[in-house]
Amino acid sequence: MNRRRFVTFSASSIAAAALGACDSFGPKRATSLLKLAERKNEGLERWLFRSDSHNRVATNARLSGRSFPRYFISDSMPVWNEAQRGVWRLEVGGAVRTPLSLTLDDLMKMRSTTQKVDHFCVEGWTARAEWTGVRMSELARAAGVTPDAQYVDFQSFDSDYHESWDIDSALHPQTLVAYGMDRALLGPGHGAPARVHSPVKLGYKNTKYLTRIVFLPTRSGGYWSDRGYEWYGGV
Amino acid sequence: MTHWVNFVALGLMITTGLRIFNAFPAFARKGESFCCYPFAGTPIPDVLTFGGWLAGARNYHFAAMWLLFVNGLVYVTFIYLHGEWRDLVPRRGDVRDSWEMLKFYLFARRDHPHQGKHNALQKAAYFAMPIFGALAVVTGVAIWKPVQLAPLTNLLGGYVWARYWHFVVMLCLVLLTVVHVIMVFTVDPYSIRSMITGGYNDAKSPEARNARPFFWRRPSATIATSDGGFDR
Repeated sequence: MNRRRFVTFSASSIAAAALGACDSFGPKRATSLLKLAERKNEGLERWLFRSDSHNRVATNARLSGRSFPRYFISDSMPVWNEAQRGVWRLEVGGAVRTPLSLTLDDLMKMRSTTQKVDHFCVEGWTARAEWTGVRMSELARAAGVTPDAQYVDFQSFDSDYHESWDIDSALHPQTLVAYGMDRALLGPGHGAPARVHSPVKLGYKNTKYLTRIVFLPTRSGGYWSDRGYEWYGGV
Repeated sequence: MTHWVNFVALGLMITTGLRIFNAFPAFARKGESFCCYPFAGTPIPDVLTFGGWLAGARNYHFAAMWLLFVNGLVYVTFIYLHGEWRDLVPRRGDVRDSWEMLKFYLFARRDHPHQGKHNALQKAAYFAMPIFGALAVVTGVAIWKPVQLAPLTNLLGGYVWARYWHFVVMLCLVLLTVVHVIMVFTVDPYSIRSMITGGYNDAKSPEARNARPFFWRRPSATIATSDGGFDR
């Protein structure tokens, strides 16, 4: 009896271990359960969210500099071609009273913020840079966001890359539309001419190669969010 | 029993955690190096991972964490309400008793030291288990919300270190589990029944049978087997 139990148990443990160990995506039926957990986690994360919780980096902390990873989804590095597409403009629209269409000069004339913060990648690494740009809350004020705006979609010219955010994270004081990095103009590897950067969201939420900011009453997914990564992606 | 829920929860957390780790198998910030992990850049073998890709593993990790968390709460509540925590908290004399148990396991002592429900080494392990479980949750939360819960992350030395502690706690849990499983099979296979039903036959306890791992390696162990304890 004991021996049998022992053998049965060992066999089932080994089977269970083997099942768990295989490099698999898991059963299809788990998906709805995982989605439920993601929604509940988002609820908790939104409840935890404070716009005065800041990412603070020591003033003497080292910057990542050249080792700050460059990343885009297009086959080659997206560069705005003025000859082809005309002057780059950042459109701010959707649920706003006065839609904006800003050239880089217009953007740089607005009140700017420079901050040294961490960049949290979903992969687990972090990198540090000093970003210069306009606070999203500043742009929202300038455009006169209406009360029905609950979400913001950040769109780009990096193929169809975009990511939508909850409005609270977008209006966090550390969320910038950045055009400068480490005291220089943003390079094409980091999203030139302008990109979203915030330590309150994971890297993939921070759309680079920005073209449009659309305030919305409903969320509109995102490039990686539609492919399985969590939509909220808060840090 | 919370025991088997824990088995599933920890199994999921560890395999998906290793998958997440593989996305960036090092602890340093980009452009920096980290002092305390000799295998930086070495990924974990795929057979030990679960979730398929980073997003899948993260989704499982952030779902199964609730299983682990709730199960831990149920376990702690249960042992508190039933007074069974008294069998686990360290007491004066446990250090001496642990030393005696160690001597027994290392064949420096012939007979099994007298014990209560658990021996002193077991007590230490079972007491440490939920503490490491709690530490796994705390360090995990610290790397989940390093900005919103920045004070917690800073307490652990910042994001990079918190990630490291989370990994180390996982290793401690794995180590405790491996030793635990080895001891169950080599010393007290009769307890497997009690892990499922809760009942336990004291006449077959390791103390009654004078059981220890590798007992067959030493002639002195014939005392144990002549009691008819083991049926191997």
